[in-house]
Amino acid sequence: MAGLVDDDDELLELDTPVEAVEEEAVAEPVPHAGTPGMLRDRFTVRSNQPLPDLSMPNAEAFAAEDRRDPNRKLFALICKPEVAIRSSVMRTLKGLKTVGIQPLVDWGPMTWPPAGRQCMTVLYDRPVGRRVMADMHSEIRRIDEYDITRKVVTPLVNAIKELVRCGVTHRAIRPTNLFYMDEAGERLAFGDCVTSPPAFDQPMVCETIESAMSSPIGRGGGTYADDLYSLGVTMAFLLLGRNPVAHLDDETILRAKIAQGSYSLLVADERLPLPMIEVLRGLLCDDGMQRWDIETLDLWQQGRRMSPLQPRVEKRASRSFPFQGKEYYNCRELAVALSKNWDAAIPLVLEGKLELWLSRAIEDKERAAAVAEVVRLTVAAAADKRMGSDLLLCKVLILLDPSAPIRYKGFSAMPDGFGAALAAVMAARSDTKLIAEIILREVPKLWFEAQGQYQPDNSLMEANFRELRSYLTTQGMGFGLERCLYEMNDSLPCQSSLMGEEYVTELRELLPGLNTAAANSKRADGKQWPCDRHVAAFMGARARSDIDRNLMALNDSDAGKALMSLLNLFAVFQYRLGPESLTNLAAWFETLLGPVIGVYHSREKRKELEKEIPKLVRKGSVVEMYNLLDDPGSRHTDHSNFVWAKAQYQAAEEEIRRVQADEDERETDADRIGKQTASVIGILIALLTITVVVILTVW
Amino acid sequence: MAAKMKKPGPAAAKKPVDIEKAGLGINKGVLLMVVAALVPFSLPTVTILAVTMLPTFTAYFAERGPNRYAWLCVGGLNFSGVVPFLFTLWFGVHTMDEAFRMLSEASVLLWGYTTAAFGWVIYNVTPPIVSSYLAYSAERRITSLKSVQKRLIEDWGDDVARK
Repeated sequence: MAGLVDDDDELLELDTPVEAVEEEAVAEPVPHAGTPGMLRDRFTVRSNQPLPDLSMPNAEAFAAEDRRDPNRKLFALICKPEVAIRSSVMRTLKGLKTVGIQPLVDWGPMTWPPAGRQCMTVLYDRPVGRRVMADMHSEIRRIDEYDITRKVVTPLVNAIKELVRCGVTHRAIRPTNLFYMDEAGERLAFGDCVTSPPAFDQPMVCETIESAMSSPIGRGGGTYADDLYSLGVTMAFLLLGRNPVAHLDDETILRAKIAQGSYSLLVADERLPLPMIEVLRGLLCDDGMQRWDIETLDLWQQGRRMSPLQPRVEKRASRSFPFQGKEYYNCRELAVALSKNWDAAIPLVLEGKLELWLSRAIEDKERAAAVAEVVRLTVAAAADKRMGSDLLLCKVLILLDPSAPIRYKGFSAMPDGFGAALAAVMAARSDTKLIAEIILREVPKLWFEAQGQYQPDNSLMEANFRELRSYLTTQGMGFGLERCLYEMNDSLPCQSSLMGEEYVTELRELLPGLNTAAANSKRADGKQWPCDRHVAAFMGARARSDIDRNLMALNDSDAGKALMSLLNLFAVFQYRLGPESLTNLAAWFETLLGPVIGVYHSREKRKELEKEIPKLVRKGSVVEMYNLLDDPGSRHTDHSNFVWAKAQYQAAEEEIRRVQADEDERETDADRIGKQTASVIGILIALLTITVVVILTVW
Repeated sequence: MAAKMKKPGPAAAKKPVDIEKAGLGINKGVLLMVVAALVPFSLPTVTILAVTMLPTFTAYFAERGPNRYAWLCVGGLNFSGVVPFLFTLWFGVHTMDEAFRMLSEASVLLWGYTTAAFGWVIYNVTPPIVSSYLAYSAERRITSLKSVQKRLIEDWGDDVARK
């Protein structure tokens, strides 16, 4: 994951002309050069014209053209399929014409020849100028205090205002993601923010302390206050013309931010004009509640002088807490250290040293009592000591620093960053146990309870985590961790291997995707269903109505019932979302219908169905296929006739058995009847003789 | 009351059998008395019958087992062989002399005993014929039922045979 974060090396130096880069790219063609990608039959993306200076850490840039307007300069970012993108933000930004934001022209999955599969593609207007800062270590020309308001503050604050109005955050505001949109270098705009999870590519220095403590993938969408902090850092860089902490590593930066405060770390020793100090103090305030907001910035832009915020740092202890050879003087710093040395931290907490330090050195009796209570409950109740201890430390870390991310055995993420974190872990096929454990043990609930102020978003998230827990506790297709993955990542494409090269992010794309995949990979082998855990979970998460009951039926031990349930779901989706014809998918189903047709007992009915289904396959109608197979009247008739036939068979069987068993009795009967018959014959002959004799005698 | 009741002993258990035997004895006795009463009035006829119907009497007494119908079959045919001679006696001279004369002729005994033998043949042949017929009809029935079952399996599959 770290490799994905620091990809800035690929970016070119600031003073390399764009044209030169393009020439270089043309000179060294990439594989599959010459085969362009085509988005919506309108935009041509030139795979042989890469634009490395416009690339993002998780998306390569290529030159693009608009067929309707060939003179329009565009570039396309090709996203990595395994990285979660922000399609909801794309939807918002598409067509948004705001100064300060690079205009997003269009987006969508596109077949990308170099990758040999579909990739999410985002099209932007190509900036005329270049990237403001090539990497976090380069130096640029300082922007003076007279220009910064006009060139930087006004357009970028307007951009943030627009984002706030749209209800989205940028979370990729940094000096290396700022572009000059004009040749004169007068108009600045934020670069792309949709090709990777929120704040994933942000250097630690550009993030708030809370966000910096989280792993990059789990920083979450955050709030616009986070964007304003990043803007503050960016402004500081532009005013200074360099990164003032370029010589420090991430851990030192975080420690310094906690110990001194962000403003002191970035600006303290620099000589800046008073208005700039004022705005930077406001934006770089580490307390999110006190940080300047849009209104305050507006007032400042209008010339109203604000009283500069004094940096507020964590309360310093009267004596240090020694841990792993280092001395810690405040709770936040100690919490970071404890979270990074998980196994060594647990005994300290259990022994009560932390409680003692909190009550005596920090003089926070309330927090000390809370920690003591947590320890007492853990010692008294934990059935599984190891798990209990892990949860204990997690709770203690939340008590020490409530606004910090959720930290659990090396995993660290903000609650709204769990989705991206889970997506990354699952894409890397790493162990998902930690995330599952956090959700199952209701750790987010503890985090939400520890937040002082009520926030509606938190309540919503808490409810979502409760729901996730219920999905996680339910086994079978359509539930489990896969369901959590799609529930938490509304723009994540379906990760099923059945999809092949298809990029499916919405439910309406699922059936066409499976249809294409069925045609391409000849998956219709009669065993593989067009549904696996990912497809089922994707359907469950993306369907607007509650289909959980149908998903449960997918796990039925009776293959016929399970397949009918799947057919039902697909039929509903085809009926509601189209397309009208899904020939390959229908053919795929045809190979699997054995158990469904087998539900009918009547051979005649089966033959009738087997004759009818190929017609529907040619038509590509899953709906009609379902209707044909799920006819309750036919089923009832078939069932009752079968019961009757069974009874008839059994009656015949009984009679055969009886006839065979009666052989001895039959012999006895035959003897009796034979003798009786013989005696009757004898008597009849006697009577006949008497009659004849009488007649002869009389005549 | 209970004290007055006697416990049934072995003698009490045998009593119904004795009554049954007595009943049969009475019936046979009555029959013999009737026959004996008729003897003085038709002594020649009785003489003829007593000699010519010997196979019938033998069949009656010799046969064992539950189905004792031999005397009827043998008797019927035996009597049909004798009856023309009886009519000759009745419509001719009904005397003891004539009866003895007839008995001295070989044809009377030959007819009587030959027809009786033929009765025996019928009596012995009929049961196997009936048995074969019954076996054949049972076989036919089984074949018919099996064909019904086969048709049911063709229409409904092997599941129809499962209980």
